Amino acid sequence: METLSLEFKVNGQEHKLSVTPNKRLLDVLREDLNLIGVKEGCSVGECGACTVIMDGKIINSCMVLAGQAQNSEILTVEGLEKEEGKLHPLQQAFLDAGAVQCGFCTPGMLMSSYNLLQSNPDPDEEEIKDAIAGNFCRCTGYKQIIDAIKLAAERMNRQS
Amino acid sequence: MDFDFLQPTDLDEVCKLLNEYKGKVKIISGGTDFMIDLHKDELSPEIEYIIDVSNLRDLNYIKEDDNKIIIGAGTTHNEIANNPIVNKWAPVLAKATNSIGSPQIRNRGTLAGNIVTASPAADSVPALLVLNGKVKIKTSSTTKEIPLEDFFIKPYQSKINQDELIVEISFKKPPMECKSGFKKLTRRKAVDKARLNIAVLALQNNIDEIEILRIAPGSITPTPERFEKTENILLNKRPTKELIKKAAEQVSSTMIEKSGYRWSTEYKKPVIKTMTRRILTRVLEVE
Ligand SMILES: Cc1cc2nc3c(=O)[nH]c(=O)nc-3n(C[C@H](O)[C@H](O)[C@H](O)COP(=O)(O)OP(=O)(O)OC[C@H]3O[C@@H](n4cnc5c(N)ncnc54)[C@H](O)[C@@H]3O)c2cc1C
Ligand code: FES
Ligand code: FES
Repeated sequence: METLSLEFKVNGQEHKLSVTPNKRLLDVLREDLNLIGVKEGCSVGECGACTVIMDGKIINSCMVLAGQAQNSEILTVEGLEKEEGKLHPLQQAFLDAGAVQCGFCTPGMLMSSYNLLQSNPDPDEEEIKDAIAGNFCRCTGYKQIIDAIKLAAERMNRQS
Repeated sequence: MDFDFLQPTDLDEVCKLLNEYKGKVKIISGGTDFMIDLHKDELSPEIEYIIDVSNLRDLNYIKEDDNKIIIGAGTTHNEIANNPIVNKWAPVLAKATNSIGSPQIRNRGTLAGNIVTASPAADSVPALLVLNGKVKIKTSSTTKEIPLEDFFIKPYQSKINQDELIVEISFKKPPMECKSGFKKLTRRKAVDKARLNIAVLALQNNIDEIEILRIAPGSITPTPERFEKTENILLNKRPTKELIKKAAEQVSSTMIEKSGYRWSTEYKKPVIKTMTRRILTRVLEVE
């Protein structure tokens, strides 16, 4: 098996890595780049815990082979913090609305909701539900998560 | 599972590699079926090379000409579901692709991947069947086009050889006045493969007689197909509640005829009957 030279941008930073071709994007992010905010739940595309943004779209990083991310731009939950130690308004809203219990689904939820607010700054409840339909939460029953996304949208709209 | 990863930059190169490594090579596109096989270690041990086509611009397009809609094999479910041409001419396909999995799955999963995997429950397939879809297949030396209805051999096996690449899926534009519907039944709302699905396309003339009727239920026959016997019950007639009921019964008896009596039949029989009745009632606007 020939190793693969993978060049891509993650959270704004260029990387050039040598990886074995059978690794998933999920493995590269967690193991090679130590971005352990990206979670592995089901490993088969169902839970959304491994959700990251690739070239502007949410994807399950367990469903992408490392080499397929060649030349792409990836955003993980670690990239949401703009300044060291300062939470993104979505993260703050998740905390304030009680949307984080065990926290396992949170990074994926954040990426799906971040992606939603990028294109739709003022989503209604249905739009929020559709946007997080591929993210499972076993703890909260979703209400707090939906509230958190509404709260974040409100705060972000007030700011801008 | 060890393999080399190849990323050819055009279709000729893909076909050349498929030919060169025939028997030892597999295509990956969106990976939403492939990665599950990889994870479960269910890829054939003969595979030594993986060819990635997910970044090929030449497989990613939706075009129309005067008669046809043409969709590149690597177009994703979300790109199809949100495309204005598809929504105008084939809302049934937009609806079917929009029902697949989750946003994350629809952002990666492709039309060609969905049909090659040949799951009896594939959601794009009933929609493409009522559109009389065709599949264009390329090798290093030939190009051919086959009707989608001839594409399936048995559950999870389609008529695609190892040296063949699907390049596009196309269908004739149905008359603008056509009505259509797609319905699926799943266990959970999000992220689930259909247990049962059905697509219908119909055209009625100015005195309500049915001139075109195409019905394709998924997940109830070994390979997806149009139910022409059922269509004939209503064709050239004005739809009534009674005729629709008869058609719905016909669907469930055809299911048993084709699939035999199985553990799931007891569940599927009444459900597919109801689904057929409802979708026909809605599409044909019977009071
Ligand atoms: C969580 C989850 C939920 C899902 N829900 C649904 C659902 O609701 N409905 C549904 O229908 N499906 C569903 N699926 C299945 C899946 O998303 C589709 O079958 C998808 O369309 C496959 O496309 P892909 O590009 O990801 O294929 P891949 O996984 O890349 O490939 C699948 C197969 O097709 C072959 N292939 C791909 N492209 C070509 C080509 N151009 N020429 C020749 N061969 C090719 C590959 O070699 C492979 O054998 C779901 C999957 C997951 C993981
Ligand atoms: S770990 Fe990727 S979707 Fe569950
Ligand atoms: S907070 Fe535990 S899974 Fe969502």
